[in-house]
Amino acid sequence: MGVMRLGYAHVRVTDMAEAKEHYANTMGLYETHAEGNKVYYKAWDEWDHHSVVLEEGGVGLVKFGWKVENSSDIDDIEAKATAFGVTVERMSKGENPEIGDGIRFTTPSDHVFEVYHEATCVGTEVGTHNPDAFPRHLVGVGVPALDHSLITAEDPGLMDRFLTAVFDFYPTERVQTSLDSDADIIATWMTSNNQIHQLAVLAGPNSKLHHFAFRLGDWVEVGRAADLFSMDDVPIDIGPTRHGITRGQTVYFFDPSGNRNEVFAGGYLAYRDRPMSVWTPEALGKGVFYHARELNDAFTSVLT
Amino acid sequence: MPTVTIHPTGEVVYLEPGETVLSGLYKAGFAYTVGCRRGGCAVCKVDCRSGKFDYNHPVADTVITDAERHDGTCLSCRAVPRTDVTIELRGEHVRLVSTFLHQINDMARQRAEAYAAASSPAGTTHKE
Repeated sequence: MGVMRLGYAHVRVTDMAEAKEHYANTMGLYETHAEGNKVYYKAWDEWDHHSVVLEEGGVGLVKFGWKVENSSDIDDIEAKATAFGVTVERMSKGENPEIGDGIRFTTPSDHVFEVYHEATCVGTEVGTHNPDAFPRHLVGVGVPALDHSLITAEDPGLMDRFLTAVFDFYPTERVQTSLDSDADIIATWMTSNNQIHQLAVLAGPNSKLHHFAFRLGDWVEVGRAADLFSMDDVPIDIGPTRHGITRGQTVYFFDPSGNRNEVFAGGYLAYRDRPMSVWTPEALGKGVFYHARELNDAFTSVLT
Repeated sequence: MPTVTIHPTGEVVYLEPGETVLSGLYKAGFAYTVGCRRGGCAVCKVDCRSGKFDYNHPVADTVITDAERHDGTCLSCRAVPRTDVTIELRGEHVRLVSTFLHQINDMARQRAEAYAAASSPAGTTHKE
């Protein structure tokens, strides 16, 4: 069945003490493990061991982990990536704490992806037996889960083809230079299932992170998150606002090292047979920031 | 109390102790192109033409290269002046977006200068 979700985002932070304050006390993630210069976190409604890894030293993305449904999916993706022309290496259980065997490769956009099937199940914070709706003592924003990421690539069209061929992703929305069939792809929003996007790719330098996002339920939660960012002096990039693309409600903000985070709520259900939405440059501002209707300079220039 | 002089207009901005160049400029009513404000994106780099500053956090090598640590490059969101500094923006000028904040900063600067003059021995000037 293939890729189920973005399992983990592993990012660099310049100052671990400040990063821990942000991800644990502002975002409300639960620390599950620490070793060396790395700290591992999960959100309350996640069951696998970790979804966010912080590594002290530098800034930006180390790698993403993608969890597949069956162990045979790893072999399938390895074959497809190799056929696409990408060099794939095997990774062993334990190379990432509590993560099983898998593969690792560098995408045409120079991002490192790992694909795995097994992760230690530590369970959600509400359990599975007659579970309550949420944990009583959430901290800060109290995000339930990691949601998606946006990366930049010199050739988003190539990444669209790569993710289609190797991950069996499909695009839900795109920004194109025109509606012509030979138009250039400026950005693409892609998924494997009903989630509106698991990974988006925007034209820009290779290997860069634009943001990784945490899920929230609705406008009220997004507004409350923004209040907490002001309480904790978290720099807000933009929001609360809505994206025209995906229809999601959002705040973009920065962690203490300058990595962009997002809280993202809503977004419609994606289906493989739903006709793809296409945005053209004259409406790009509205597509990205539905209320301001113009791109801020930071959207395309501020990357880690 | 360090000041930041903006070349070439000569505007002088007064900083609180420990305040970054970026924070001081914005609090004095100026705006310019900045990004994450947390040292990660490198968008707010300016050139430091004179004076000394320190970074108040670790700065990634991908943001400030070894060469840039010695060529006057100043990552303004993390740079805390140790002395009075003169900076020059890269490819743009600061924009005065709040005359109100600018006046407040001017008043703070005049007060600090008057205090420094009053507490110095006669005939000398002193600046902390």
